Amino acid sequence: MATRIGFYICHCGINIAHKVRVDEVAEFAGTLDNVVVARDYKFMCSDPGQEMIEKDIREHDLNRVVVASCSPRLHEKTFQGACARAGLNPYKFQMASVREQVSWVTRDEDEATRKAKTLAAGAINRVNFHEALQTRRVSVHPDILIVGGGIAGMQTALDVGNSGHTAYLVEKDTTIGGHMLQFDKTFPTLDCAACIGTPKMVEVAQNPHVVLYSYSEVTEVSGYIGNYTVKIRRKPRYIREGVCTGCGECAKVCPVTRPSEWDVGLGERKAIYRAFPQAVPITYCIDKMDRAPCVQACPAHVNVQGYVQMIKMGKYEEAVKLIMEKLPLPGVLGRVCPHPCETECRRKEVDSAVAIRDLKRFAADQVDMDALPIPVIEEKDEKVAVIGSGPAGLTVACDLRRDGYQVTVYEALDKPGGMLRVGIPDYRLPPEVLDKEINYIIRMGVDIKTGMRFGRDFNLEDLNQQGYGAVFLGVGAHECMKLRIPGEEGCRGVMDAVAFLREVNLGERTCPGKNVVVIGGGNVAIDAVRVARRLAADRVTVVYRRTEAEMPAFADEIQGAREEGVAFHFLTTPLEILSKDGCAAGIRCCPNELGEPDAGGRRRPVPVEGSDFVIECDTVITAIGQKIDTCWDTAECTLECAPRDRIQVSPVSMQTSRPNVFAGGDVVTGPATVVEAVAAGHRASEGIRRYLQGLNLDDTRPQFVAPDDYECRWSEIPDECTPGLRAELNHLTPDLRVRSFDEESAIFSPEVAQKEAERCLNCGICCECMECVNACEAKAIDHTMQPEEIEIKVGSIVLATGYDLMDPRPLKQYGYGVYPNVFTSLEFERLSNATGPTGGRILMRDGNGGFEKPPKSVALLHCIGSRDVNHHEYCSRVCCMYALKYSHLVKEKVGHDAEVYDFYIDMRCFGEGYEEFYRRCQEEGTIFVRGKVAEISDVPRRPEEKGKLICIAEDTLLGRPVRVPVDMVVLCMAMEARKDAPEVGRIFGVNLGSDGFFLEEHPKLGPLNTATDGVFLAGVCQSPKDIPDAVSQASGAAAKALSLATRGQVEVPSTISWIDPDICAGCQTCIGLCPYSAIEFDERRGVSVVNEAICKGCGSCSGFCPSGAARVRHFNPRQVFAEFEGIMDAVSALGV
Amino acid sequence: MEDFEPMIVAFACNWCTYTAADLAGTSRLIYPKNVRMIRVMCTGMVDPQYVIKAFLEGADGVLVSGCHPGDCHYINGNYKARRRAKLLKTLLPQFGFEPERLRLTWIGASDGIQFADTIKELVKQIKPLGPNQAKLQMVI
Repeated sequence: MATRIGFYICHCGINIAHKVRVDEVAEFAGTLDNVVVARDYKFMCSDPGQEMIEKDIREHDLNRVVVASCSPRLHEKTFQGACARAGLNPYKFQMASVREQVSWVTRDEDEATRKAKTLAAGAINRVNFHEALQTRRVSVHPDILIVGGGIAGMQTALDVGNSGHTAYLVEKDTTIGGHMLQFDKTFPTLDCAACIGTPKMVEVAQNPHVVLYSYSEVTEVSGYIGNYTVKIRRKPRYIREGVCTGCGECAKVCPVTRPSEWDVGLGERKAIYRAFPQAVPITYCIDKMDRAPCVQACPAHVNVQGYVQMIKMGKYEEAVKLIMEKLPLPGVLGRVCPHPCETECRRKEVDSAVAIRDLKRFAADQVDMDALPIPVIEEKDEKVAVIGSGPAGLTVACDLRRDGYQVTVYEALDKPGGMLRVGIPDYRLPPEVLDKEINYIIRMGVDIKTGMRFGRDFNLEDLNQQGYGAVFLGVGAHECMKLRIPGEEGCRGVMDAVAFLREVNLGERTCPGKNVVVIGGGNVAIDAVRVARRLAADRVTVVYRRTEAEMPAFADEIQGAREEGVAFHFLTTPLEILSKDGCAAGIRCCPNELGEPDAGGRRRPVPVEGSDFVIECDTVITAIGQKIDTCWDTAECTLECAPRDRIQVSPVSMQTSRPNVFAGGDVVTGPATVVEAVAAGHRASEGIRRYLQGLNLDDTRPQFVAPDDYECRWSEIPDECTPGLRAELNHLTPDLRVRSFDEESAIFSPEVAQKEAERCLNCGICCECMECVNACEAKAIDHTMQPEEIEIKVGSIVLATGYDLMDPRPLKQYGYGVYPNVFTSLEFERLSNATGPTGGRILMRDGNGGFEKPPKSVALLHCIGSRDVNHHEYCSRVCCMYALKYSHLVKEKVGHDAEVYDFYIDMRCFGEGYEEFYRRCQEEGTIFVRGKVAEISDVPRRPEEKGKLICIAEDTLLGRPVRVPVDMVVLCMAMEARKDAPEVGRIFGVNLGSDGFFLEEHPKLGPLNTATDGVFLAGVCQSPKDIPDAVSQASGAAAKALSLATRGQVEVPSTISWIDPDICAGCQTCIGLCPYSAIEFDERRGVSVVNEAICKGCGSCSGFCPSGAARVRHFNPRQVFAEFEGIMDAVSALGV
Repeated sequence: MEDFEPMIVAFACNWCTYTAADLAGTSRLIYPKNVRMIRVMCTGMVDPQYVIKAFLEGADGVLVSGCHPGDCHYINGNYKARRRAKLLKTLLPQFGFEPERLRLTWIGASDGIQFADTIKELVKQIKPLGPNQAKLQMVI
């Protein structure tokens, strides 16, 4: 059948006709191939215009139609409808945009007419190749998703719910209500926002058809109109909804306070909180970030933040219990731990780290260990032997005993404690502290057998025979390394530091000599030299082969030694021990200089040849490292070892080469810190537990330390955090210290300790002290909750995500954050609100962040950030009205004599009752000044300005500058798009306008629709509006969504992809390109096939198909080529 | 050369740049007459042969314009357009076209002003290149 085209050009009143000579275009079109009819008409979209097309189709037997008028985005559907009514397939229609693209954007009439002709020629040539397409209908899921639980979202949810359709309401906050519920009164009626808002919230909660997901966010949306699949991430509240009664007992005991978001930082809330008393749902929520850096840094993962908070609250026993969950020896670690936690403490970013170790010691010393109750233990029959009663062994014993195992500890010496007992001098760790803590472990039911040396008194075989299911080996490293220089052996006055310290610690308190030299630079060396000093040696000297910077000993220990009169010989290597009459008499040494760094990164000492010298002495103590005593290692009972006789273990379970033997501590790592031994003990006890229960030992344990590629989320350090001083222990003076083995420092007083604990920034927010768990009678709290992902299916989506109030800080001229009495509008709402920080009294801030007396004068500044080319060009629409409301509230609450200055640019009182409200406020005595305040200053020029905030402005009605001193300034901040709007827009396929708010389909005719079919907008997420407008739009959006849902089916575009099976080569390139995974490969035919239900017609496949088999219907290459061939031919004939 | 008026074909995505062009029209922003827009659903469907065909047919410049990165109505079609444009720029000289004649831009639905400015700028850039000689020289 021959192609017969009808061409119509619209005058659009004069919109097109004033620039384009439409008759000339019609005449030109009439000369083109296949054009049967070419007409122009005043309004093609009007009924007569459409009827003209229908009539022509029938009378002239047209089978193609082209209309040149406005944008196809406006009227394509209109004209397609006209075609369809006349029996022509709507896809045999094409439109040329000669208004938006020609008459409105071209100045010259000739040029415009030429351009219109070329566009018409393109459309006419294209339509020749149009094919008939069948309209597709899809079913619509009856449920509707609403995102955002503010007043707009609640209204939509209720309208949907009341219709009987299910409304899923997703709110990212802990409560629904949104900004409106933060307000005090609402203009112009002065209804209380809570009075009219909370019934809505309750209605939402009680409506059987509304499913509320609070504290949740939509993470992914897939599908298409009528058939969306939505993934929702439910953040863990750590409190079970429905079980929590909202009694608030938990918040009373929570030690962590945070600025309240609901009170915009004016008030405080606890880490366990709910936004406000009428919150819906009423369930509390725990604010938890990643575990604090101190907890992560601790090798034993002690809940540092938790016990520091307990100390702050004065709950010392609770603090000790928290410590003892991970450390069986709190008082010991509180003294000797090298505190890696303090290295990571974020308080350092403000001033200096919290004195965590000293606080631990303080807490431990406050609690009588002998009176501390023993936890309830569920007895088990299995027996475990622990060899060695050092920190690793005691940790294993304690852990396993708590689990109910029968634990026996074997100790070679006469007293338990290992290196804690015999390696650490008493002035650092008083033996009574250790005794008390070991006694507690004995009270738990651990049997400690002393004087039993492994390898001498018993071996592994004996233990097996006695029925021990597992053995932990933690014998430590008690042997000293040798210097291996001449004169070391067989000379009196030469001893090793470990033996020396052991003897002194076990009670031998005789001075080894008058002139003592200790060789080495580690902690053992420093301990030895300080002990020697305390034993009244006259001269004590440390000889170390590198410099102080390379010394492995702790800096404070070195400092302590120096204060006590210890001399240091750095860069010195001993070459020979000189003796006289079999006694040590001196050391021949060689000086060094530092060379290249070695494998460990420390610079290597290089001897300076030929400059040897002698240090005179009568005692030489060597402290150059320890090794492991392997006397137990016999042929029958051997374990695989790593270099230096260290026992080889699995790093996860600490299992040795014998399945039932585990090891940890110095015997595995070589000499290390107490807390590392404790950590190893925990790993081993978990390994033993799994071994005894027959579980997989190397199962991945919950990873405590964050991986390197993960940025930890911690609480922000508040701006107002003032630097302070870290509490320091009072040390004895050096001359007192060297006279005895008494502990060298005194603990904090309770006041100092609590003040120090207050410096903690609560990086993890919730400190997991578990006080709330104990306080909750409903047993609703579960700290182990995990985020949950749910998937729902809906037919349409309404976005009601609201707005953010603009941050006033960039507008430095208004002094927000500098002057305490400059408030934002939302802050003023909270001040005025009965549930706010001042209980609804409008008060000024005193210097310390508290609130004291009411203001005598208040200035209200309109348009801050709005109607401002530097910030937001738009008008925020509500500020004039709420500023009027504030003027009324100040007069009402503070008194009618309070002066209110209202600085406005234009009063915009456009709504119902608004103008009347303006008049009322004028009558109440508010002083209106027409002019925008340029600056707020606190520099007085006149006596009455002293101590006031001075608003500097131009009164544009009087035409002169004014200075108005006031007590309080309220900035009516702009409403702006949510910070996450771009991200949210992407999830839902909604674009943003230039103002940042979500872009509607059409500013006038499609304010509720978006470019994505089935996604609607409600409320302020589309543009600033007041509550009545937001509610109206919300109901409108509900109606839109419901009309889809009730119809049950919807037409979807037929312009989707199609792969010609005769051409497809089966390369499957398109499958990888399709963003919707809509293409599958048909193995049998060897071709790719488009799934029409999923395809959206983007044409990613057609843009690349090497064989040209993939095409988008209605946009195939033939059609596109025809369009520009038509254009180019016309351009060649007519010019550009 | 002064009188040379280039002919520019613009492949514009329906959701962003075509909408921006509508907005430019509604806002009555005057821009040069030289551009002819061809509406596509997504820049991802702009087959490289469309561009080459446009040049062969005598276009002096081609504009491919879609949504801002990340804002594609079809998830990632504009990224595919970007890859193809990069490839085309290396291929065009082999066909005898200056690569500057092809331009890829991102113009969002609310960027009416940017659309008008882009056209102005493009016309200014292409004028000095002179008419596209390919059609004259090539025997097809």
